[in-house]
Amino acid sequence: MNPDIVETVNVAREVAWLPWAVQYFFLIGLSYGAYLVSLPGLVFRRPGWEGISRLALLAALVCGLTAPVALLADLHQPGRFWHFYAYFTPSSWMSWGAFFIPVYLTGLILYAWLAFRPALARHADEGGRLAGLARRLAYGGHESRNALVAAALLAFVGAALVALYTGVEVMLVRARPLWHTPLLPLQFFVTALAGGFGLTLLFNRYLSGRGDPLATRRMANALAVTQLVALLVGGVWLALGLSGLSPTHAQALAEVAPSANWQLSAVWAVAATVVTLVLAWKRPGSGLAIGLLALHSAWMMRWTIFIGGQEVPKTGAGYYSYQLPFGPEGLMGIVGTAGLWIFLFVVLTTLLPLDRIGKSGATGA
Amino acid sequence: MKDHNPPTAAPATSPSRRAFLRGIPVLTAAAAMAPAPVLAADATHHWAMLVDVRKCIGCQACTVACIQENAVPEGSFRTFVSTYSVKLADAEQPAGTYMLPRLCNHCDQPPCVPVCPVGATFKRADGIVVVDGDRCVGCAYCVQACPYDARFINHDTDKAEKCTFCAHRVDAGLLPACVETCVGGARIFGDLNDPAGELRRRLDAAKAEVKVLKPESGTEPRVFYIGLDERFQGRVEGQGTLWQPRATHG
Ligand code: SF4
Ligand code: SF4
Repeated sequence: MNPDIVETVNVAREVAWLPWAVQYFFLIGLSYGAYLVSLPGLVFRRPGWEGISRLALLAALVCGLTAPVALLADLHQPGRFWHFYAYFTPSSWMSWGAFFIPVYLTGLILYAWLAFRPALARHADEGGRLAGLARRLAYGGHESRNALVAAALLAFVGAALVALYTGVEVMLVRARPLWHTPLLPLQFFVTALAGGFGLTLLFNRYLSGRGDPLATRRMANALAVTQLVALLVGGVWLALGLSGLSPTHAQALAEVAPSANWQLSAVWAVAATVVTLVLAWKRPGSGLAIGLLALHSAWMMRWTIFIGGQEVPKTGAGYYSYQLPFGPEGLMGIVGTAGLWIFLFVVLTTLLPLDRIGKSGATGA
Repeated sequence: MKDHNPPTAAPATSPSRRAFLRGIPVLTAAAAMAPAPVLAADATHHWAMLVDVRKCIGCQACTVACIQENAVPEGSFRTFVSTYSVKLADAEQPAGTYMLPRLCNHCDQPPCVPVCPVGATFKRADGIVVVDGDRCVGCAYCVQACPYDARFINHDTDKAEKCTFCAHRVDAGLLPACVETCVGGARIFGDLNDPAGELRRRLDAAKAEVKVLKPESGTEPRVFYIGLDERFQGRVEGQGTLWQPRATHG
């Protein structure tokens, strides 16, 4: 900071991507992260992964269905969402994203349906709550391996495109040095995958008998790897900034380094990652703690990047200060998406009780 | 947003504006709204502004005129004058005041345009960058992409908004409201393609002194400055704002 210059009059620009955007990036990340965790058991049939993978698929579904609502709400003109399809603009990654999301969700829903049909049929036979609905959804309850693999493949293409566009869309914003780094898509991806493991660990923990300890261990190991990669990427970012090798990274560092808020966020993020890594590695049985920590890191990272990033003026001195408003553009947005998530979770777990799908081995699936 | 296709109005005839008004055939609405990014070089006009910082007295008359002209909601601004107190080393008084009028730069390479997912923001053939309010979905991607913090979401309309060089006035042969009202004569508006016009003459005369904001960003701004101190060309390093007007919505 130059002590000789004091800004006396300037304009504060408000945060234009609201907490809804944080929720969207968080949920869609968790969704494709959890989707990836579903692959070893359901598509590759790795022994010991079946239960976890079904739990992960359920997590992917709940998050995947909630995410677009948050995205829609972040538009200031949600009623005009059809403009995305009427006025396709190839120069804009956001425009492409509007087409990638339906590809992913179509694939994911089909994949989940095919994977859960047998479990739905069992639910219908046992006559629990919503048994009628389960029967209709099960539609015979047959297993169709080829169709499942095909749907998973479609979801994979969609997930890859979604992971790509959500990262690149933000990375391309040159006006914000903090966002304008090729490492950002990677950071989004790694934390999303960690979050996917985290949510699956959480689901696993709530199984009767607290889930299969071997499964917990397997996920803890995988989670430890993601944390290691996250630390590595963070280290590369810092090195690029400190060494001045990359002007953008140096500028980003110079912009945020003087701020006490940012220092706190950085220390917090590193500490959370290190704690998760150490716990996952040394005490792989602590499924709940590391699961929650991974989810927290994935959310914090997005909050800091989006909201914190928008607090840095592009031309003025100092920082804009953001206070979370109480209304729909702030806290209620976060609470609202959480509420929708819980609603979907309750409905889906009524049809597909965690205990049934989370058991290792086949549930007829 | 205001209508960008106003009826052909009779131009004002103040002597100070004669140079500007000479040779402005009023554009047809169709030409004015031609979908861009068509490069302005093909067009008859290439509108631009020159801000002579030395003449700005920081009165914010332009800020107020713009709000009046464009019905800008409270707490939002299309143009304003950033004001800084700068410590002086070689003068008797301890500090001086530095004024910097800011507005959309109507960049020739505008980063706000390609990111728009619905093609709602574009550069007109005459160089003015505008937002089609009927198409904008309010995603604010353009707000993020502009390196000058020139854009914002208008909370009355829920659409992206920014300075339009008062396109509705320009199309009618009038000057932008801020230029019209500028007390110090610090804002000069005109046609880059008109060699005899005041803007071109002033730019040519001042050549070496002419600067733009953030030249390294490759945006090719069409708002030029004379008397722009390098310390204010990019993000200003200094103590943060003492007074920040903010929107009171919600
Ligand atoms: S100043 Fe910003 S809003 Fe204006 S044309 Fe340039 S990038 Fe777009
Ligand atoms: S806010 Fe409007 S003009 Fe800006 S990018 Fe989104 S749709 Fe385009």
